[in-house]
Amino acid sequence: MTNIILNEWKILIRDRLFIYSTVLFSLSLVVVVLLGIIQNNNQRFYQTKAQKHVRQQWENLEAMNPHRAAHYGSYAFKNMNILNSMDSGVNDITGNVIKLEGHVQNEIVYSEASQSLSISKFGKLKSSLLLQYVIPLFLIFLAYGSLSSEKETQRLKLLIFQGMSLSKLTFAKSLSIWLYGLFLLAITIIIQSIYSESNLEIFKRLILVTISYGIYYYVIVSLATYFSARLKNNTSALSSILAVWIIWTIFLPKIWGNTVEKIYPLPSRQKFKAIMKEERSQGIDGHNPSDKRREELKEKYLSEYEVDSLKNLPINFDGIVMQKDEEYGNIVWDKHFGSNYNILQKQKVLYQISGFLNPFASLQSASMGFCGSDMIHHMDFLKKSEDYRRYLLKTLNDKHAYGGSKTGDWKWTVDSSFFKSVDDFSYKTPKIESHINYYLMDLTCLVWWGLFITIMIRFNTKKDLVV
Amino acid sequence: MNIYIQIARAEFIHLTRSPFKVITLFLFLFAIIYGCQNGYDLLKKHNKEIRDIKSQNKDFIDKMIIKYDAIESGNEDKKRRDPTVPYWAIWNTPSYAFKYPSPMMVFSLGQSEQYGYYKRVTNWSSTFDSDLAEEIANPERLAIGTLDFNFVFIYLSPILIIILLFNIGGLEIDLRFNQLIYLQNVTKGQWLFARFLFYLIITILSLFSIMLCYALISGVFTNDFSNFFSLFVMAVLYILFWFTIFYFINYHSNGSSEQAIKMISIWLTLCIIIPGIVHQVTSIKYPTNYMTDYLDVRRNQVDDIFELSSDTLRIKILDAFPSIEKTLFASDTSIDKSIINRSVSGLVNLLNKDIAIKTEKSNEEKNKFIISFNLINIVTAFQNQINTFTGSDYYAYLRYRKNIQSIIDKKIELILEDTWNKVTVSKTRYIEYVENFK
Repeated sequence: MTNIILNEWKILIRDRLFIYSTVLFSLSLVVVVLLGIIQNNNQRFYQTKAQKHVRQQWENLEAMNPHRAAHYGSYAFKNMNILNSMDSGVNDITGNVIKLEGHVQNEIVYSEASQSLSISKFGKLKSSLLLQYVIPLFLIFLAYGSLSSEKETQRLKLLIFQGMSLSKLTFAKSLSIWLYGLFLLAITIIIQSIYSESNLEIFKRLILVTISYGIYYYVIVSLATYFSARLKNNTSALSSILAVWIIWTIFLPKIWGNTVEKIYPLPSRQKFKAIMKEERSQGIDGHNPSDKRREELKEKYLSEYEVDSLKNLPINFDGIVMQKDEEYGNIVWDKHFGSNYNILQKQKVLYQISGFLNPFASLQSASMGFCGSDMIHHMDFLKKSEDYRRYLLKTLNDKHAYGGSKTGDWKWTVDSSFFKSVDDFSYKTPKIESHINYYLMDLTCLVWWGLFITIMIRFNTKKDLVV
Repeated sequence: MNIYIQIARAEFIHLTRSPFKVITLFLFLFAIIYGCQNGYDLLKKHNKEIRDIKSQNKDFIDKMIIKYDAIESGNEDKKRRDPTVPYWAIWNTPSYAFKYPSPMMVFSLGQSEQYGYYKRVTNWSSTFDSDLAEEIANPERLAIGTLDFNFVFIYLSPILIIILLFNIGGLEIDLRFNQLIYLQNVTKGQWLFARFLFYLIITILSLFSIMLCYALISGVFTNDFSNFFSLFVMAVLYILFWFTIFYFINYHSNGSSEQAIKMISIWLTLCIIIPGIVHQVTSIKYPTNYMTDYLDVRRNQVDDIFELSSDTLRIKILDAFPSIEKTLFASDTSIDKSIINRSVSGLVNLLNKDIAIKTEKSNEEKNKFIISFNLINIVTAFQNQINTFTGSDYYAYLRYRKNIQSIIDKKIELILEDTWNKVTVSKTRYIEYVENFK
């Protein structure tokens, strides 16, 4: 088998067009990876600048009441993982800025897609675009004629008569082209590792990316070679594998993506907001003194501190009310966003299941996931920013309640030293170990396809196809 | 002419004997129907949501009118947010800005999934509020994209054409009887042309028949015929564009495989690589705007306004809105803090408008940059042109934002006029407010 692979490589290397294409591909990959890194670093610079700007404003706040500071709020700017330069996943279409303030959980806004005319339906020219669309197609072009050409020239018969097993030959031909695919993949990964920051987490993610693409390339190359062995001529082999490629990469992902959303529908924003508002209004409205719950809370604190009126409380009851209102709001948010999150999870799993029919869906999902730019990572950012909002509001409300002011004293202020003491929002992409369970389905589907195609070649490419 | 008819007949037989091509054609038709249906579903969804909101608004208005009746007959006390005060009456006048979907949306969802299409507008609103974000949707699904007519037409119709044409002229070379063809009374160019014409007619007819059905269902002919006609012309031009490229490929190639490889490479270059390059270059030149200028206005500059004394605010308001110079309060020397406070949103609106103009200008620069690539990024150019016809492109939403701004301006104008004229809002006046925002 090694001899066949080496022989195939010799034939490929003798072909000038192949050499030119390889040089062109390698250069394109280097340029695309570098452009991706430049674009990503550029975006990260602006993101950091915006985050610093907002923090500076917070630290330099004039003396004000903590509740006013809660309304002033803060912002979280979605940061770009370094591997976003490889695969930007959902980042181009999701918002980038979320306001974190009292009483309300805002939505993330200002997506890149909403700031201009539509450009590319397949995303920016990042290495993922080449690795997902262009290289597989090139591998198909190399593989489709690998056996059918031998058939057309009758060389295959000669090889079979000499005792060569057709399945072995098919494997060897597949592996020789697959190794070429791995070579192009390796160039991308190496350049990515050299020119971007490297740490263990990125290294682990890159290994998973390599495994996913590696298996996909094996599937696509083996399938093309299999068609080449099974079908009568080059044209049939090429048209069949192209048809499969089109169905896998263009047709199925969109059809299934839409279907999944119809099977597990999300509520409309109007309904979602209305129900959240209604449920929240059942809780303590921090600005409504006549609320029943407020009365109960008041009684509780009066008896706890053994005083008869709010003005005799050693703490500021307004801060307590605000915090209780936040906590109730958090319960409502957790319930409804939790429900949406569950729907999104179900949609994701159902989409991932399509990987059993379409390995490209698994590749796309795994690539986004391992590059930290898929929906799961986006939701993680939203969750962390909401956690920070809760921390921020609790700190402000606690200061309002226990900082030394009395109930009703809205003119009481805290100075910038307090605001400086409040931690800044910082977000780190979660470690892949903690999230790997989300992508096991994708990896399973890819491995399933790898095994399936191996079995197909092993048992479906018999000598009688040739003789 | 006879030779063309003969070639078309032979081509028909060739097509019916190629199950692969027939299946592809049916798959394509299915995709077109699926795409149109997706557009039609979204059109219905948008219309339904807008109807629901309007119906809720109507209920709210009815309740308010009952409240006014009760106040006017003395059966109800005025509350903290007194509806007879212009500010609160206008606050309680439901005024939503809608981006009404064009019936042409059936043919392209365009950028409609990236923006909100309804917004409750108050005098404190701005055109970049967070409630203008897109509908709740699965971001991965949005990133993969929706299979709408536009997508099927722009990206899949060239693939259909490739499958229909990849062995036209090539098969004869593969089987080495191409020279026999030229022994007939026809040149290679004419022979290929006649065969291409057959597929061109099939492609256009299948497209047009489905487009026509969905145009009838969605009411395009009664509301948007000119855009439908333009879309159809555009579709024909686009199909012709691909047929022309493929004609030259087939004319100069030496076999089906070579033709297929060249065709799919051209498709890949025009549909994926060039738009991807333009997208990436645009992103480097114009990084995503985090809107910090706008955020600063919303927090710091608005805060600065609230810090000002009533006297200063009064002067600023009169400077900014000369139309209220002749109102009762303007000619009064006394200071009524509540009137001033209720007018502050006017000053905030001016700040919002300034920053909105700046932001839109920077977006426009980005758009101009994208458009400057249209000659080489022809697929995106066609795609955006179709979005324009279907009212789902960036500019359709820019017009929507302008509409929102005009509603905000109208609200502020009414608040200022009636507040400064110390109007007591009656049921009749409230109904006038409602009419203003219908």
